[in-house]
Amino acid sequence: MCQNTTEIPDESRRDFLGALTASVAGAGAIAACVPFVKSMSPSSDVLDKATVEIDISKIGMGQEKTVAWQGKPVFILHRTPAMISEMESSKGGKDPEPDSKRIQQPEWLVVVGICTHLGCVPNKTASGWFCPCHGSVYDNSGRIIAGPAPKNLILPPYHFVSEEKIVIGKA
Amino acid sequence: MLKTVYWISTLCLTLIAGTAHASADLPSIQRGAHIAAEVCNGCHSLKYIKYKDLLSIGLTRDEVNTLRGEKSLGDPLKAQMAANDALALFNVVPPDLSLMAEAREGGPHYIVELLTGFAPGADGQTTNRVFPGIKMPDIFGIAQADPAARKEIEQKAIDVAAFLEWAADPQAEARKRMGRGVLIYVAILTALFYLLKKKIWRRLK
Amino acid sequence: MSKKIVAWIDQRFPLSAFVKHELTDYPTPRNLSYWWGFGFLAGFVLVIQLVTGVFLAMHYKADSNLAFDSIQHIMREVNYGWLIRYLHSTGASAFFIVIYTHMARTLYYGSYRRPRELLWWTGQLLLLLMMATAFMGYLLPWGQMSYWGATVITNLFSATPGFGEDIVVWLRGGFAVDDPTLTRFFSMHYLFPFIISAAVLIHLVALHTVRSSNPSGLNLADKDNIPFHPYYTIKDLFGLGIFLLGYFAIVFFKPDLFIDPANNVPANPMQTPADIVPEWYFLPFYAILRSVPDLAGGVVAMLVSVLIFAAMPYLDRSRITGGARYRPIYRTLFYVFVIDIFVLGYVGAHPPASLMKLTGQIATSIYFLTFLLLPFVSRWEEGRLLQSGKLPADVVDMARKEIEASHA
Repeated sequence: MCQNTTEIPDESRRDFLGALTASVAGAGAIAACVPFVKSMSPSSDVLDKATVEIDISKIGMGQEKTVAWQGKPVFILHRTPAMISEMESSKGGKDPEPDSKRIQQPEWLVVVGICTHLGCVPNKTASGWFCPCHGSVYDNSGRIIAGPAPKNLILPPYHFVSEEKIVIGKA
Repeated sequence: MLKTVYWISTLCLTLIAGTAHASADLPSIQRGAHIAAEVCNGCHSLKYIKYKDLLSIGLTRDEVNTLRGEKSLGDPLKAQMAANDALALFNVVPPDLSLMAEAREGGPHYIVELLTGFAPGADGQTTNRVFPGIKMPDIFGIAQADPAARKEIEQKAIDVAAFLEWAADPQAEARKRMGRGVLIYVAILTALFYLLKKKIWRRLK
Repeated sequence: MSKKIVAWIDQRFPLSAFVKHELTDYPTPRNLSYWWGFGFLAGFVLVIQLVTGVFLAMHYKADSNLAFDSIQHIMREVNYGWLIRYLHSTGASAFFIVIYTHMARTLYYGSYRRPRELLWWTGQLLLLLMMATAFMGYLLPWGQMSYWGATVITNLFSATPGFGEDIVVWLRGGFAVDDPTLTRFFSMHYLFPFIISAAVLIHLVALHTVRSSNPSGLNLADKDNIPFHPYYTIKDLFGLGIFLLGYFAIVFFKPDLFIDPANNVPANPMQTPADIVPEWYFLPFYAILRSVPDLAGGVVAMLVSVLIFAAMPYLDRSRITGGARYRPIYRTLFYVFVIDIFVLGYVGAHPPASLMKLTGQIATSIYFLTFLLLPFVSRWEEGRLLQSGKLPADVVDMARKEIEASHA
């Protein structure tokens, strides 16, 4: 068709062809990255650990148990009636929140055991928790009372399967 | 040059077409899964397969729940017989079956031959023509079966082999699906490269 | 904007000058065929192996109790793990296919000749590094073939006179191939590709000093050279497309093509598989090893069979350029050699029964004979061809000039 034409239309066609080829090749190169990026996301066996089933029947009144959920510590506190009434009457410290919003059943407090300041694991005390790193103090509702931490201890998603079992994590 | 292109694209298309219908049929894999979990799993482990994986070949949740019993969905199919007991009984630990369809020359075909290879020997003992001296008993009883029962057992062996073929390579379907897309993309890209190359080299003439 | 950035960089780093010198102005013979594209392909496969290897190492566990399981973890649980692993395992074979073709082209067209000896030798070094990397990588899946392959090959070092056994124990870090062997092979398998990358740079520097050879063998006039970019970038990319079609066809539709069934059985130090064979790319050399009845002799023969290529610039004493193109006898030798390698490969893949053994011994003799005869045959053929008057005038001119130079 355009065998005998001058160089100009020829050039423009090459440019179009060149741009098309470059964009198809570029799209392919980007698509080729996807499997490699995704290979670094949690593998299926790790995702299986997204939830964990905990038997809480063995945790005595007033006792706390630390369990691992997604590689993080979770505190499960079996609260005494005294603790419950004390917490219900308090509003917390610098991040005020009523106790009722932090629990599903008043006897059971389930919080992620990571200090909201810089990520250390607080230690259990009679009145709550104390973070050894920078001295943050939490009450028995996991609320920040004193120290540098800005927020209350985080609540993980969980639900009661029965009276004796809870599942932590989104099912 | 064009000949080479033609030859390679024909090869690719043959591959695509050849594998499109090669996937073993799902009902056979499912029947094989039942036999593997109920019979083979007594002695052999399938340690790279978890109960929940069986959902992906179309077994219902109820079927899987029956198969797993007390175990959880995320548990692998460990052998019901302890390795030590098996060692005492057979003098050898029965091999894991997860990769069996890829670990023998002949693959699934070998498994069918082995399972149906039992026959009464000269001395009245049952022997296996594929694997003389095998410790595994003739679990389907094919050596003593009449022709009708024989046919049934052969089908069972085919089902088990189909399941083990899936177990050895559960990604096969996804892989081929992705492969078709990739090959079509590369074919288009190569055609573009070819046109562009002709265009650029024409400047030299 | 981009011009400003480039100018800013150019004041501090010779970016534009580099691109100009090595790509847009780099003179390349215009008559290169597709056989000259295999160097680029080799570089591409090296990148595939590096990238997939780094990602595999994120999930692989170099521990004899965990290695086999971690491969299955990659194949079954890691997102696209199967893809990355198959790209890597198929890539190893693809690498050798590309490199062997690259070498065959060099041999056919006599590209190893003066002044390209160093280019050829850096290529030889790359081949040796690649073989070592491939061999160590093959142990990592910790299957039966991995294990017994490593056992047999490390045992070859027992042929060393005097302290052979000590070397074998030292290499393995134990009395048999075991956990220490696996961890050191993994370490080296990760290290070597970086040495290979550095050697590739040296190979390229040598190439850009002496420039590409070309099918005619003549030194081309300036007008016969064209810039590498865009002419050879696009030609190489088209070649890459063809290569990828074949490569992906195997990765997605026949990924177990290069994986021996026995390697899907975990390593068992108490039981050797019925017939153990090395990976296909080692088969010819393995056949040579087995063809010599004596262990030490076999090891030496195998070593020489790989290293002898380095002597090609001196074994080929003909001063007629263009390799096999103008030299029918050299061409015949080339094809005999290629066929012989396939025969050796076939022999290497089969148990050494009597007939197979004899075939292997004959093929091994032919292998070395082609090299040993070359100095005499090439000089004899040179004289005959120069007198025949059938050669193009410029080829004769070049040959005569070289002959005169060698007398002076």
